[in-house]
Amino acid sequence: MNPCHDYLNNLTRRQFFSGAGLAMGGVALNLLSPRVRAAAVRAQALESRVHPPLAGFPHFAPKAKRIIYLHMNGGPSQLDTFDYKPKLQDYFDRELPESIRQGQRITTMTSGQARFPVAPSIFKFAQHGKNGAWVSELLPWTAKVVDELAIVRSVHTNAINHDPACTFLMTGNEVPGKASFGSWISYGLGSENNDLPAFVVLTPKFSPKVAAQALFTRMWSSGFLPTKFSGVALRAQGDPVLYLDNPAGVDASTRRAMLDSLAQFNQLAHAKHGDPETLTRIAQYEMAFRMQTSVPDLTDFSNESAATLDLYGPAVKEPGSFAASCLLARRLAERNVRVVQILHRGWDQHGTLPEHLKIQCNDTDRGCYALIADLKQRGLLDDTLVIWAGEFGRTVYSQGTLTRTNYGRDHHPRCFTVWMAGGGVKGGMVYGETDDFSYNIARDPVSLFDLNATMLHCLGIDHRRFSYKFQGLDARLSGVEPANVLQDILA
Amino acid sequence: MFSRCRFALILLLPALTAPGAETLSYNSHIRPILANNCFACHGTDAAHRKGKLRLDEPESATAERDGVRALVPGNLAASELWQRIISPHDDEVMPPPESNKPPLSAEQRALLKRWIEEGGTYQKHWAFEAIARPTPPPAAGGAGAHPIDRFVGAKLAAQRLNLSPEAPRETLVRRLTLDLTGLPPSPDEVDAFLADQSTGAYERLVDRLLASPRYGEQFARGWLDAVRYADTHGLHLDNVRTIWPYRDWVVAAFNRNLPFDQFTIEQLAGDLLPNPRVDQLVATGYNRNILSTSEGGAIEAEAEMRNTGDRVDTTAAVWLGLTSTCASCHDHKFDPITTKDFYAFGAFFKGLADRCWDGNVRVSGPVAVIAKDPAMQRRVDEVYAIAPALEAALSARADVLVEGGLAPLKTGKQAVTYEVIWAEDSDLPTRAAFAGASNAGGQWQEGPEVPVKGGKRALRLAEKGEHVFPFTLGDVQLVVGTGVEAFVHVYLDPVNPPRAVSLELVSEAKTHRLVWGDAQAFGPEAAKTARFGGKLPKQGGYVRLEVTACESGVPEGKQYTGLRIAQSDGAAWWDRAGALITSASGSDDPLLSKDAWVRQMQSKARDNPLMPLRHDMNFLLGLSGTQQTADEKQRVVRYHRDFIYAPYRAALEPEAHAARREMAEQMHYEATLPVSPIVRELPEPRPAHIMVRGAYDKPGERVFPATPAFLPPLQPAGEKPTRLDLARWLVRPEHPLTARVTVNRFWAQLIGAGLVRTPNDFGAQGEPPTHPELLDWLAREFMTSGWDVKKLVRQIVTSRTYRQNATVSPALLELDPSNRWLARASRLRLDAEVLRDQTLALGGLLRPEIGGPPVRPYQPVNIWEPVAFGGSNTKTYVQDHGDALYRRSLYTFWKRTAPAPALATFDAPSRENFCVVRGRSNTPLQALALMNDVQQFEAARGFAERLLLRASPEPERLDFAFRAVTARPPTKREHQLLADALTTHRRHYAAHPEDAQRVVTNGESKPNGTLPAGDFAAWTMVANLLFNLDETVNRN
Repeated sequence: MNPCHDYLNNLTRRQFFSGAGLAMGGVALNLLSPRVRAAAVRAQALESRVHPPLAGFPHFAPKAKRIIYLHMNGGPSQLDTFDYKPKLQDYFDRELPESIRQGQRITTMTSGQARFPVAPSIFKFAQHGKNGAWVSELLPWTAKVVDELAIVRSVHTNAINHDPACTFLMTGNEVPGKASFGSWISYGLGSENNDLPAFVVLTPKFSPKVAAQALFTRMWSSGFLPTKFSGVALRAQGDPVLYLDNPAGVDASTRRAMLDSLAQFNQLAHAKHGDPETLTRIAQYEMAFRMQTSVPDLTDFSNESAATLDLYGPAVKEPGSFAASCLLARRLAERNVRVVQILHRGWDQHGTLPEHLKIQCNDTDRGCYALIADLKQRGLLDDTLVIWAGEFGRTVYSQGTLTRTNYGRDHHPRCFTVWMAGGGVKGGMVYGETDDFSYNIARDPVSLFDLNATMLHCLGIDHRRFSYKFQGLDARLSGVEPANVLQDILA
Repeated sequence: MFSRCRFALILLLPALTAPGAETLSYNSHIRPILANNCFACHGTDAAHRKGKLRLDEPESATAERDGVRALVPGNLAASELWQRIISPHDDEVMPPPESNKPPLSAEQRALLKRWIEEGGTYQKHWAFEAIARPTPPPAAGGAGAHPIDRFVGAKLAAQRLNLSPEAPRETLVRRLTLDLTGLPPSPDEVDAFLADQSTGAYERLVDRLLASPRYGEQFARGWLDAVRYADTHGLHLDNVRTIWPYRDWVVAAFNRNLPFDQFTIEQLAGDLLPNPRVDQLVATGYNRNILSTSEGGAIEAEAEMRNTGDRVDTTAAVWLGLTSTCASCHDHKFDPITTKDFYAFGAFFKGLADRCWDGNVRVSGPVAVIAKDPAMQRRVDEVYAIAPALEAALSARADVLVEGGLAPLKTGKQAVTYEVIWAEDSDLPTRAAFAGASNAGGQWQEGPEVPVKGGKRALRLAEKGEHVFPFTLGDVQLVVGTGVEAFVHVYLDPVNPPRAVSLELVSEAKTHRLVWGDAQAFGPEAAKTARFGGKLPKQGGYVRLEVTACESGVPEGKQYTGLRIAQSDGAAWWDRAGALITSASGSDDPLLSKDAWVRQMQSKARDNPLMPLRHDMNFLLGLSGTQQTADEKQRVVRYHRDFIYAPYRAALEPEAHAARREMAEQMHYEATLPVSPIVRELPEPRPAHIMVRGAYDKPGERVFPATPAFLPPLQPAGEKPTRLDLARWLVRPEHPLTARVTVNRFWAQLIGAGLVRTPNDFGAQGEPPTHPELLDWLAREFMTSGWDVKKLVRQIVTSRTYRQNATVSPALLELDPSNRWLARASRLRLDAEVLRDQTLALGGLLRPEIGGPPVRPYQPVNIWEPVAFGGSNTKTYVQDHGDALYRRSLYTFWKRTAPAPALATFDAPSRENFCVVRGRSNTPLQALALMNDVQQFEAARGFAERLLLRASPEPERLDFAFRAVTARPPTKREHQLLADALTTHRRHYAAHPEDAQRVVTNGESKPNGTLPAGDFAAWTMVANLLFNLDETVNRN
């Protein structure tokens, strides 16, 4: 690499210029030697975006330009939602056969149990859509859009507890410190919106009745990547973006006046010190100012039609609900925000599963449906990838007392269900199969690395060529061992 | 999260100059190519080695295999290595296509070609070679006599470059003050320095700043990042962890300039020093800064392995600059660290006595209890030393009694009434008693003249006496259930009987007396509420007096803590106080049921910042049933039996009294003194094994404490290597890494980037040093000085290299964009904490207190709440008020799973992992924070207030404002810009007086009410502008 190239990188890739930044860039250019100036002008012409992609990205024409990731934190039960196991009814309260369990590790929450009685789902399943996919009665709305979904029933993970499992799901590694996939994607593909962050995180409300596992900022942090690739949490309470609002008594015109003075001071500072970071700083203050307008505009639903609001159901009017978050996700997709992640909590049904899982599904089902339907009616589903997943599945045997109407389920990393929809994914299909107990994978196992590789593929990225040097290694979102793109589910 | 922790710009530039211009060096030119492209399959990792070929060792590279040799020095055609690189065939070419490595570039090939042709000589990896003793070269490149400048100047001269001129003195004083103290210089300090034109002025400034207690706070920050100090456990519940005494130890260690070797030894193994002082024990908290959990389903072997791995990784990164993590699953592919090395290094930590779980409690043992002075410390240490024997004696006595037929009360879900004797020969010791709560009159006496109701002693009260018999221990919460009837026995002196006696329960509720004798004896006030029990009891013999909760005015559900007796005049003996308790359900009564007691203690622990039990029991109750060992379960059972179980209480005296006394004293200390987690060594360490492929459930070969073979030998003092040996080994003079890694980190902190630009990786995949001789010279000097950190800092900051101007010409920027050759100083965006502290200092709000528990300043709503676990005690952020809002950022509460946004926004790490260098990003979120965070804006208002209270004409005031922030006077143009801004804002706020009022009332500190709001607001905006200047947020 040559130093000039580094410098241009500094000017263009590492720091994002805005319109105002470009103007400042012009000032800066006069200070450069002709050789650098020519190259810089070329680079700026190519990269009018605040935050351009890495050179050579995407690797090939992407099917999806953006991704919306619906994370069901806690581990939704596959047995009560998508992985239909009718034969289990005959197995009620019978011991899980050793031939199935095979002495595999289980958490210490149930390892002390004397018995592992099979708990068939008490929920009814029916076939939906053209392909007749089985969906539980808990998800009547999702069932309506099943023709858009690729339901993958054979995903497995390594971790058996929430914290490492979530860290693994989000960063491809159980040990904290790695970059989240949203950060990876915004690092690789950059942003197409100059007024909003490339990676936005939403943490909707959840029912206070259910036990909710924690989230961690590391789930959307940039890890070893530069901080600017961290997810920005849009908040339902307080400022939607941290420190977005001016202090009391400072209106937009006062802020503008202050920023005008600031820009002049900072230009003088740049003229004096020649530090390219100063130019970036000028641009970032301008972006901050634009966000003060663009973010409130984003979160203002008043121009949504009654029909659209109706799609999402009455909960859409409650700020911070899952439905409202889904609508916000659509609005972000419209604005070309690269990654939107909704993290819904409360899916950890160790006990009282029938009652609590129903609450969880009620909270989210309509929003999931509406998001898919709304994206589709606007033509956005074609180039938006939507993924629904938890960090692991749940056991077929009951944790705690099993009755005809009540049971609980422990963590189960060996198989769980994920669905994908939209850009690049074949709708109306079911992929992979588990055994009769939804305990082991019978056909087409899918690791989280495979899932990450597939997600990147839909976005036009070859996961093998997407790495970042960290602690002497080429870190990849798809891990060290070979990962496979799930060709069978690609459109 | 290493997030926010950037290891400098990774710009792999082996050299700026073309390689042809200098001698080819294996370490500088060849190893990076081989390491990145070949070593993964042909390096140190035996398990993944292909074709039994190693290219990292000349012996293997030149050995003949099937008639071919990978490397034939001087013979390109015969070198299979070369033939494979240039092969056009996919099945032959190296690196192979399936490695996802791109083919070698033309430049890389040219280098390899030349290397083979020139003889293919190897060098040991530079960082593992002994530290050289270089002599500073003759002055060149604009350098003077300073040795650092001579090294830097020599390199510059080779590039036909020079050091930049010295920075203006205003810039220097601000740069130095910010770097050494983390705070800006005051205008007076600037003036004093500018006025001092004598020689040595700068050096005197350095000395003054090094002597400031702010120096320790500033330098502690970097270390706390490295050792991932935080105020929560980090995993799952992410509850509060109280280990701030360790943080304060670090601050103090820098301030008293504890030599770095001793600093190292005390942190890693202070507990193993002979007769360690309490501060040396607190230092071992280094080992307790791990991420921990007590998640219900977690698996012990896994947690244990993660903790040990965390300790190895951090120690290896911080002292050795090595990336050891790789070797936890397989031999390191680039550095000679085997998997066995990793686990053998981990074996040093296998003897640590702390459990792998945190119990979700503030402190888990072992702990240090830190007294206020040495005398008190002696007493504290003594109590903790003797308590185990007393408790063992108590348990032994209980065992004997139980074996001898002492039977428990048969209880169940049904109601039960039982008697408990709370005081027989003495009062129950309470935490409150040690805290100095007076128990009024009375004296327990024994002897032939003392009549007793039971036991050996009775309480003597004379004249107007009052006494409380405490009814509690271990902070069990006694609540009036179905009924409580307290009783005591009294022997009235027949010669000198009291006028009256009274009883009442002690409670949080408002109580009243039950009086026997003259109802007016306790005064008219008491008489109003008192109830009358009857005439004075008979004299000359013991009489039982009783009072019910109802008679004392304590309703059901209220807590009670004892029985208060009083007498008016005369004399009496009092003995055998107790209560008849009626519980609705025996199995829900903590005095009868261990499980009920455990439940009560756990819920109390949740609500109460004080621990309801001594730390060790508190911790045990924090563990789930599956996490407790059999022995720990037994300890809980015994504790309840020996200390709490009411039916045994009387029978266990007097052994119980002695043990309870020590227990209450310890609980008092733990409630009033800092307690900090430390380490202790188990008598027998847990066995260490190689964990096959890094799996916690696949222990392989047993290993014993050892250091990697490629580094100097360990030289243990005794038969078995210990942590102390490890610590001493790290700072041995012949160790090639510790001194280099350490000086590099301080260099990076002061200069902006390390001489090795990958401070966490001194291995083959890291960058070689830009100035190897300077690095070695600094390392040697550092060791020779006795690891004197202040001396090292002084050496660096007095150099011209440090003092030069940061201004960069376009030509120089083009030639050396990332400032590897140091022909200028680097301009650095201030660290998160410095940005906040600078603002607070300018705003006149900064509090100077050093140390103590962390504080919770302003934080936007909903930072913790949306992410936290429901049962976590860091779920809800409760902001502090008053002075706590304005403490230095070092003391801001650090929650690992949701760090303070005011810090995280500016690249502060999460402290989930070690972090040896932070990134310096530049984002719009930072702009928003500096403009709008109430902490920032309130300080701007504070600054405006300071300005307006200065009696000076406006132009001078503007100049002063600019100078206070930047340390230099404004130019004419800048002055004009500032004046224009003031005019604009003044005009606006004159027209919007309500807005002006709102501007000056941001924040919780009280604004000066005498200042006209419009002007005040306009100046506040000017201050807000000044605080956001590029020049203000940078160290120039």
